[in-house]
Amino acid sequence: MQLGFLVDLHLCMGCKGCEIACKVENEVPLSTWRLRVKYVDVGTFPETKRTFTPLRCNHCENAPCERICPVSALHYLDNGIVNIDKERCIGCAGCVMACPYGAIYIDPQTQTADKCTYCAHRIASSMMPACVVACPVQANIFGDLDDATSNISKYIQNHQGAVQVRKPEKGTNPQHFYVGGGNVTLNPLASERVDGYSLFNNITTLPVGGHH
Amino acid sequence: MAAHEILAATNAVVTLDVAIPGTVWPWLVTMNMWAKSIGTGVIFMLFFLIKKYPDKVGGLRFPTTVVSIIFIHIFLLFTLADLHQPFRMWHIFFYPHLTSAITIGAWMATVFVGLLFLLAFLSFIKKDDAAFDKVLPWVVALAVPVTLYTAALMSQCTARELWQMPTESAQMILAALLSGSAFMILVFGSKLGWEANRNLGTILGLSAFMSFVLYMSEYVFGPMKAEEVAAILEYVKGDGPYTVMFWIGQWVTYLLPMLLILLSRSSKSESILKLAAILALVGLWIVKHVWLMIPQLLPMS
Repeated sequence: MQLGFLVDLHLCMGCKGCEIACKVENEVPLSTWRLRVKYVDVGTFPETKRTFTPLRCNHCENAPCERICPVSALHYLDNGIVNIDKERCIGCAGCVMACPYGAIYIDPQTQTADKCTYCAHRIASSMMPACVVACPVQANIFGDLDDATSNISKYIQNHQGAVQVRKPEKGTNPQHFYVGGGNVTLNPLASERVDGYSLFNNITTLPVGGHH
Repeated sequence: MAAHEILAATNAVVTLDVAIPGTVWPWLVTMNMWAKSIGTGVIFMLFFLIKKYPDKVGGLRFPTTVVSIIFIHIFLLFTLADLHQPFRMWHIFFYPHLTSAITIGAWMATVFVGLLFLLAFLSFIKKDDAAFDKVLPWVVALAVPVTLYTAALMSQCTARELWQMPTESAQMILAALLSGSAFMILVFGSKLGWEANRNLGTILGLSAFMSFVLYMSEYVFGPMKAEEVAAILEYVKGDGPYTVMFWIGQWVTYLLPMLLILLSRSSKSESILKLAAILALVGLWIVKHVWLMIPQLLPMS
């Protein structure tokens, strides 16, 4: 079994329902996110549009975070999920530095690394991840990539040529796919970050490790 | 500049993204690399001096070992301080993950510390120089991977395109040679005589030259190879946030010491050599810090 995720960006409307569901389900502290939706505004007024890209751990087949973790706190589950054992983590932040997707953070409450686990605890109880359940337009498609009859496999088959991953050049082989993505949505270097143009300019962050 | 004037092709502006805040690896990691360079560097220099000037450096065995012990412990202290869960450090030894450079490095550094204490025992308690000289090559051999493992760790950071092997390895070993020779000139130079000082100055100057060449090569040619490297190096170009610090580092660590070493050779001045050594030691921290910080400024999402 190889669990994977696919987000159809044609469908995503940026409601952030997935983000909130994730926070509630996993008790993600203030100022940190396991899953977040990035907004990028494209074009010149009046020809403008806003794109929405949910970003979470890519559960890479060749995960740099798993490789760099000195104590195997980050480890693979049999179903392909890259899971984290917060009791074992020493907080070296090597995984945060290694992840090319910025998907790992240091939890300010536990002072350990944390990230999306595809809601491994729910999957163990045969439930879907919280973000999948919360999505009002079924933009999140989750399932077994090894099963040709699963929804995600069929979706990938039906969108041949349009399925993308983030930063394929890194060789991480992400198990998280996007349909309807483009350079602007998937490549962080294709868009600018300008002071004063963020919807939430004053984001409160909790201290992590005091001096960090 | 208005948002719509940013990128001609896409006019794309991120209007909401709550990426990881702040710096992940702060100045504590700079201290780690700087102290480790000195800690292993002085061992390399002691080995060189014992081979080259066995009659003159007899009294340096114990003090140099103590210097190495002190700086390796500074390195270990800052490594520990950088952990968010420092009291779980023992997990590295009881739940080791051998694909991680951190694990391998921690084990090697532990053995290295043990060997340093053995050297201290042989030189201070047993006063057995012959035994010291037999153990020293093994300590030198281990000092090489201890010096290099941080480069391996940086290279394992897939997200940070700037840190590549084997460049980082070369920079680490050159930093150890540079700081080791600088420290020996500064602290023990007066006991060594001009010829040994001159040779240490040569090591310092050549290390500075090669390291500078590597940085400039990356500065000029790095952006031609990878989009991310180009974006990262923008932080040390033009009005970048680390431009001034980067060039101060290059001048203080490499260019000025090289010039001062040439000057000291013509004037046979140990004072000028010591000044070069001070600049190199201070500048190395700056250079390492800039190279540590700039890849962390790049948004990953």
